Amino acid sequence: MSEITLSKSPSGMMTGLRWLAKHPSVSIGGILVLLIALCAVFAPWIAHYDPYEQDLLNILAPPSAQHWLGTDDYGRDIFSRIIYGARISLIEVIVSVALSLVMGIPLGILAALCGKTIDHIIMWIMDVIFAFPGIVLAILLVSVMGAGLMNMLLAIAIFSVPVYARLSRNLTLGIKNMEYMEAAKALGIGHWRLTIHYILRNTLGPITVQATLTGGSVILAAASLSFLGMGVQPPLPEWGTMMSDGRNFLGISLWVSLWPGLAIVISVLGFNILGDGLRDLMDSRL
Amino acid sequence: MKAYVVKKLLSLPLILLGASLIVFLAIRMLPGDPARLMAGPQATQDDVTRMHTRLGLDEPLAVQYGHFVTGMLKGDFGISLKSGQPVSQEIAERAPYTLSLALLAWILAVLIGIPAGMCAAVYRNRLADHALMIMAIAGASIANFWLALIAMETFSVKLGWLPLLGAENWQSYILPSVCLGIFPMAVMSRMTRSSMVDVLGEDYIRTARAKGLAPVQIYFKHALRNALIPIVTIIALNFGSLIGGAVVTESVFNWPGIGRYLVDSVRYRDYPVIQGVTMITVASVVVINLIGEMIIARINPKIRFD
Amino acid sequence: MSASILNKYRLAILAGILAVGGITSLQAATLNVMQNEPPRSMDPGDQTATFTSTVLRPMYEGLVDVSPDNKIVPKLATSWTTSDDGKVWTFTLRKDVKFHDGTPFNADAVVTNLQRHLDTNRGLAASSRLRNVIASVKKLNDDTVEITLKKVYPTFLNLLTGGSAKMVSPAAEKAGTIGRKADGTGPYMLEEYKTGEYVLQKKNPHYWGEVNGPDQIKWTWSAEPSVMNMALLSGQVDVINPVPPQFGQQLKNNPQVKLEQGDGTAVFWVALNTEQKPLDDVRVRQALNLATDKEALLKAVMFGFASAANSPLAPVNEGYDKSLNDYPYNLDKAKALLKEAGYPQGFEMNIAVQGADARTAQILQAMWGKIGVKLNIQQMESGVWSKAAFAPAPEKLANRTDSVLASWSSGLNGSDLQLRPLYYSQSAAPAGANLGFYKNAELDKLLDSAASTMDEKARVADYVEAQKVIMQDAPHVMLYFQDDLYATRKGIEGVRMEPGGEVIVINAKKP
Repeated sequence: MSEITLSKSPSGMMTGLRWLAKHPSVSIGGILVLLIALCAVFAPWIAHYDPYEQDLLNILAPPSAQHWLGTDDYGRDIFSRIIYGARISLIEVIVSVALSLVMGIPLGILAALCGKTIDHIIMWIMDVIFAFPGIVLAILLVSVMGAGLMNMLLAIAIFSVPVYARLSRNLTLGIKNMEYMEAAKALGIGHWRLTIHYILRNTLGPITVQATLTGGSVILAAASLSFLGMGVQPPLPEWGTMMSDGRNFLGISLWVSLWPGLAIVISVLGFNILGDGLRDLMDSRL
Repeated sequence: MKAYVVKKLLSLPLILLGASLIVFLAIRMLPGDPARLMAGPQATQDDVTRMHTRLGLDEPLAVQYGHFVTGMLKGDFGISLKSGQPVSQEIAERAPYTLSLALLAWILAVLIGIPAGMCAAVYRNRLADHALMIMAIAGASIANFWLALIAMETFSVKLGWLPLLGAENWQSYILPSVCLGIFPMAVMSRMTRSSMVDVLGEDYIRTARAKGLAPVQIYFKHALRNALIPIVTIIALNFGSLIGGAVVTESVFNWPGIGRYLVDSVRYRDYPVIQGVTMITVASVVVINLIGEMIIARINPKIRFD
Repeated sequence: MSASILNKYRLAILAGILAVGGITSLQAATLNVMQNEPPRSMDPGDQTATFTSTVLRPMYEGLVDVSPDNKIVPKLATSWTTSDDGKVWTFTLRKDVKFHDGTPFNADAVVTNLQRHLDTNRGLAASSRLRNVIASVKKLNDDTVEITLKKVYPTFLNLLTGGSAKMVSPAAEKAGTIGRKADGTGPYMLEEYKTGEYVLQKKNPHYWGEVNGPDQIKWTWSAEPSVMNMALLSGQVDVINPVPPQFGQQLKNNPQVKLEQGDGTAVFWVALNTEQKPLDDVRVRQALNLATDKEALLKAVMFGFASAANSPLAPVNEGYDKSLNDYPYNLDKAKALLKEAGYPQGFEMNIAVQGADARTAQILQAMWGKIGVKLNIQQMESGVWSKAAFAPAPEKLANRTDSVLASWSSGLNGSDLQLRPLYYSQSAAPAGANLGFYKNAELDKLLDSAASTMDEKARVADYVEAQKVIMQDAPHVMLYFQDDLYATRKGIEGVRMEPGGEVIVINAKKP
């Protein structure tokens, strides 16, 4: 009697790793985003200094053993500020995307389900918002609402709303007339409940992709606005604000602007690559 | 086709109307007396009273809005609080700087982005492709003001090759246009690559190869021409993001265009300017988008933007 | 292929290069000066900003002027006499002087000029200092003017060298164009004022005296320190004023550039709103002074180009007492004072600053945070800031403008002008620069007494006492005395700085 040996199926982790290797975008992007998230969460343990502590006798110092990335123009440790800055960036992405979703998706669903007039009106508003270059709209709103983190995030969220509204509208339209909806109606299942339930389940994929892609643009927009002085106010260690500090010291210390900018590139890159990877994944699934 | 054009042309005033409503209401939302805000911090009581009449603040909101719109249609955007000059005049003085910068950035993006995308498509999945696409995605992720600061430090301060200041001479155009052009360059190269890849997989390309046509012929004459449509789409529809990018770039380089004008006016709370620049910017973006869509509909009637 | 193209267009390329070269050499007769803020007005009587005065200086003149060795010399007035009681001054005016627009300069013009400042309805920014001193002005004949003072004022002639007393064309004043279109009697006249971009001045062909400076002077400005620095290093501008201190050392070591450093007369401080709780309590104000580490602050902000301020008077002012040291850095003492005043946990307050001083505000924010004071920074653009800074008491209370960061310099015009506009009870904003509404009858008396005596010893004694009173009452948190820093390209001659920060370029020579 020969033994039938079942070859050991690869462990879950191996399958997972192999999958990641096959999808470099998702893995690399994912790692970068995870890195940012980890820095944000574990900031107090990773950073060596209080990001607000000034050391006025040691300003604009180049990188050294005590200050890995050097000090800024108040003597604050740049490395610590960048790590804490990750916290702010993460908050920016989460809050802004959440606000956009909360405002945009219901609008899109409403437009698709209520049809004609309401659809036209909602889409008109979306087109109008979309017609503004993002920064210009954000500047207008901030000039009216005042600077500050939350106001800036609201402004950024608003100019992303049309994208989500359009997306959810199109997706809803797509499934609105499907046969099984007719069947459900015939069965007397609550029209609205079913619609929303089904819609949310099926739109999760494309919306996640979109949200990831917008994550990067939120960070860029927030950094730009803060750089212009219209967003986060000092002394918060936001990467864009840090870069604008460095502007006055060109020729003396590039470090003050260099590292925060690099942090921005890495995080935006992470979101972009991850978003691309997720989108390819969605596309191939379809 | 005609119906499409008409429909599109009708949507233009509607969008502009909506935009003007947003701009009008936004400023009205500010706390305080609108007349005092519009007359500015240096205004005397007389100035404020005059502004009050001019804005028609005693009249219903709808009538005020009417004044606002008719004023704009006549080309009157009010007087800048900071300089006392008509806003429309100041915009007219600054617009050429922004437009020339945007045009230069766009040309750079086209000259480098499209060939790069084509190259990546032709050598797809090989080293060149990967390298180019990594650069492209990096380019799309860079904050252009960071690049600007580094470039200024290196080329202006340390090496002294290029000027730091405004728009004095042709050398001043180099750094700002490169910084502004990186993002569209990256986007264009990615779009070119993906649409070329699509086209290169089509049957008629295989036929051309089978016929023995030279690669250059295939790529340029056939493939590119067909891939061009989505590319043109992107080019036209990205004007808005180019303007957005210009706002920040101009602020870094002290470029005397309307982007910096807008940013300065917010710092100064120069509301007539904020209103005027916002409206002009939106109007130009909308018009250019429309023209782009028209051209595309002409070239390829199958594509419609609804 | 490429070589022949070059050959083909060789001529064109050469022509291009020559053209560019030609254009650049045409501008050699223009002196380019860059400052860090735009001029507030073209009317010298409607502003009090040092850097605006600098721009206007080539175009306007007063009855008298200050020479480089600090003596009063004739300018638009050729001679003068005083009455016995010192209150009536009679000036003989220079003949054959015209304003840039052709209007003749004469007694009528002088009367118009001084009257517009005495007119309380006119509202010019620089009027108060003249109005406090001058009672009336009268024309005796076309070339003679009589000015009557309210009381004896020892530095009256110095006062006449200042911006408010510079002569503007009565025609332009009447037409209301003087704010935009400069019109004076000076060696240079306005060629073009492109708001937000530059001021271009050219030689006045009808000037009554000699003009030996550059053919044109072009004034630009940039709020970006790096831009100012780069502009000088690249040769794009010839003079920058003031030098952003972070580049001071770099410029000092650079052979292509000359850095000029002088003991400044500008005193930097934070004005505290004495009508706003808890700043109405002197102990709180003293605590803020004690919590400010001046040495560290000036190292970080001024990169060493300053010295700690221990007095409202600058070292060049009469009566300055070097030994005063009321507030050595002491956090514990500060906290104790706060506790005594009833604020053991500290409190919250706002500060209004302009962009250029934002760093100072952030440093104070961190310093005062250590004693529990939460400082909210309100950064404003210059026009918005002036309005907030010079607002009257009710407005300041409503807007919670609790403090303002600013500086004051009276140059060599005397201690009265250094103290009166800031600390005299009647100089309360918006009439004067007493931004915090400080009132002290004893101080008023001291200032008045000093201003009305010609006895130098008595005057100095009064000022010594006055500065003690002011420091004790602490209406300001004193920060530092800023060194005057300006820089020129090597080879530029004839530029000098007047203590107070005004750069004088009318005799400049470019190589």
